[in-house]
Amino acid sequence: MKNKELLPALGLFLAPALLALIGMRLIPAVQAFVESLLKTNVFSGDKTFVGFDNYISLADNPDFQNTLMVTLLFTLIVNPLQVVSALALSLLFVRKFPFSRLLRSLVIFPVAVPPAVSAVMWSAMYRPDGLLNSIFTSIGIPTQGFILDEKQALMSIIVMLSWIGVGYWMLFLLAGINDIPDEIYEAAKLDGAGYLRTTFSVTLPLLSRPLSFVLVATTISNFLVFAPVLILTKGGPNGSTSLLMHDIFIRAYSFGDIGRANAAVFILIGLMVVAVSLQFFLLRRGNEQ
Amino acid sequence: MKNFLKSSLQFASLGLASALVLTGCASSTTTAEETSAAAPTEDITSEPITLSFMGPEAPETFVPVIEGFEALYPNISVNYEQIPFDQLATTIEQRIGSGDSSVDVYTVDQPWLAQYAAKGYLEDLSYLSDEAQAAMPEAMYDVNFYDGKMFAVSVWNSTQMMFYNKDMLDTAGIEYPSADPAERWTWEEIDAASQKIIDSGAAQYGYLLEQVIAYYQFQAIAESAGGGSGIVGDDMLSLDLTNEGWTKALTWYQDSFESGHQPTGVGGFDTGPMFSDKKLAFFVGGPWDIGIFGGNDVNWGVAPHPYFEGGEAVTPTGSWSWGMNPASENKAAAAEFLKYASINPEGNLKTTEALTIVPANAEAAAAYLPGLEGDPRAAGVANIMLYETQNTARTRPTTVGYVQFDSLFSAALEDIRNGTDISSRIADLTAAVDDAWMLFK
Repeated sequence: MKNKELLPALGLFLAPALLALIGMRLIPAVQAFVESLLKTNVFSGDKTFVGFDNYISLADNPDFQNTLMVTLLFTLIVNPLQVVSALALSLLFVRKFPFSRLLRSLVIFPVAVPPAVSAVMWSAMYRPDGLLNSIFTSIGIPTQGFILDEKQALMSIIVMLSWIGVGYWMLFLLAGINDIPDEIYEAAKLDGAGYLRTTFSVTLPLLSRPLSFVLVATTISNFLVFAPVLILTKGGPNGSTSLLMHDIFIRAYSFGDIGRANAAVFILIGLMVVAVSLQFFLLRRGNEQ
Repeated sequence: MKNFLKSSLQFASLGLASALVLTGCASSTTTAEETSAAAPTEDITSEPITLSFMGPEAPETFVPVIEGFEALYPNISVNYEQIPFDQLATTIEQRIGSGDSSVDVYTVDQPWLAQYAAKGYLEDLSYLSDEAQAAMPEAMYDVNFYDGKMFAVSVWNSTQMMFYNKDMLDTAGIEYPSADPAERWTWEEIDAASQKIIDSGAAQYGYLLEQVIAYYQFQAIAESAGGGSGIVGDDMLSLDLTNEGWTKALTWYQDSFESGHQPTGVGGFDTGPMFSDKKLAFFVGGPWDIGIFGGNDVNWGVAPHPYFEGGEAVTPTGSWSWGMNPASENKAAAAEFLKYASINPEGNLKTTEALTIVPANAEAAAAYLPGLEGDPRAAGVANIMLYETQNTARTRPTTVGYVQFDSLFSAALEDIRNGTDISSRIADLTAAVDDAWMLFK
């Protein structure tokens, strides 16, 4: 009864958020999907319906096939790497030791650097005569190609992104660990559990919520990586760092190929939905066990 | 003092100016096929008119030219609107593409002209073509044509030249290259000198091209090797990058990095500092570098852009033109403004007052260039630039697909300079460009 009386007020208060959601998310998404089914004549601006031709043409294109493979490989490496590193660092920094605060700040610091600035900085470090190679040479390791070497470029981008990302994701895990009540640790201690046992039987299970958030959020943000690729490698050498989001940007804004760019966007969304669903499925199964 | 300096420079340049006017502005191959578009005839001297003008430069850049124009036409005022460069293309797409009449005049990056003209984003200005032909060097006149019609007027020009480090050449016992275009060095000579420089320990590397993976700079190399622009066909939507000349140019380019004559891994804004930091002896760059290198302590000199032995001397050129929105409601006044900023030498010169850039107008350039020799290290540069714009400048090909090509080409050149197999990379590039050009077919 009372709920019904509240309905108009509820509607009124929710309206701005709902309108924003519809106007800024749903309508553009529908428009983008419609555009992905059209071919636009560059000269006249006329649009013709071509069904799934844009998708088929992308699927047939060897460059786009390469982009998909690179994106999948990237996702499979970067996400576990960042989550495990963030977890390890959070387990380390939750303990007090000399200079731990200072070191923790240093780990978080890259988050405050704008991504474009980080990319420019790393591109200077990765140069054949850059900082990293001069350190390598001084300890007897031969000069490395990094972003100029087809075999190292993707890994170089992953390292740069992790330098930024790990500190950020660590913050969430650190907060999660601090939320675990001290009593549980005391109880574990009374039962004679050592550090490893406590970590695996107390900390990790009780951290599963923040951990699954971090895993899903990392996955999504890494699917959307774009600025470092644009600044460091432009998808090269030989397409070895051609991540999907960069490919979409180039298609849409450099080439003006709106139809196929939108088709690629929906392929990206599809990939993200599959990856995240898989993660949820595995996490749930893990929790049930 | 500044004014005195300026007027004496202009006086000194009189000789150059007359030489320029005599040697013929534009003995051009392009003429307007049909002057279908008649010049607008409305009276623009009485009613108050407000022109709006859009471009990527900072507003202070255009204050002198706007003030000069407003002094001639007191009833017309010009409002300049700055759109950041990376948003310019999308803004033009949205505003001009939708028929917005609130823009009268806008700046056009020359390689984009064909695409804009084909889309109907530019007013046919063929009625100005005779005047433009008389005022511009040939390349700066031709560059505004698409499909036999003139769609814009050139305001700025560019060229390239070779800077060299005199101290390094002394150490290696190499004679300085001459500033005389008739005695320009070949790439073969540059390579031989670079080897000497590296061997003698005078510098770490031999040379570097400023825009090291840009088509703007590489086109001159391929053309000098006899390969042509690389874009062919009636519709200018086919690639020809596997001919003998292109193969020679690409192979030479790759070798120059493999041999260590050019440093790998340096790009974008990092190239100029390599010369200022004395890491290399030769640097192929633009007139803007005279200003940039003015602040360094390198004992440098300037020589003409190199070419291949037995090949043609070709240099890069091109910069910005200005065009008119077909939806403009002030076409007569807009045309007067365009004429003032481009065809009128005085007005054109005013566009370069606040920026180190070469005016497109031949007479304005002749007045402007000697000013660049204010730095004694730049001795001879005015003559070099004058010669190149008149004789060796080759504009980028006029094709609706330039934008796609330019971006894909840079990526391929980057791979090639890092040692990727040339023929397979060019095959991939050709496939990728053909795919991107499906938009136009």
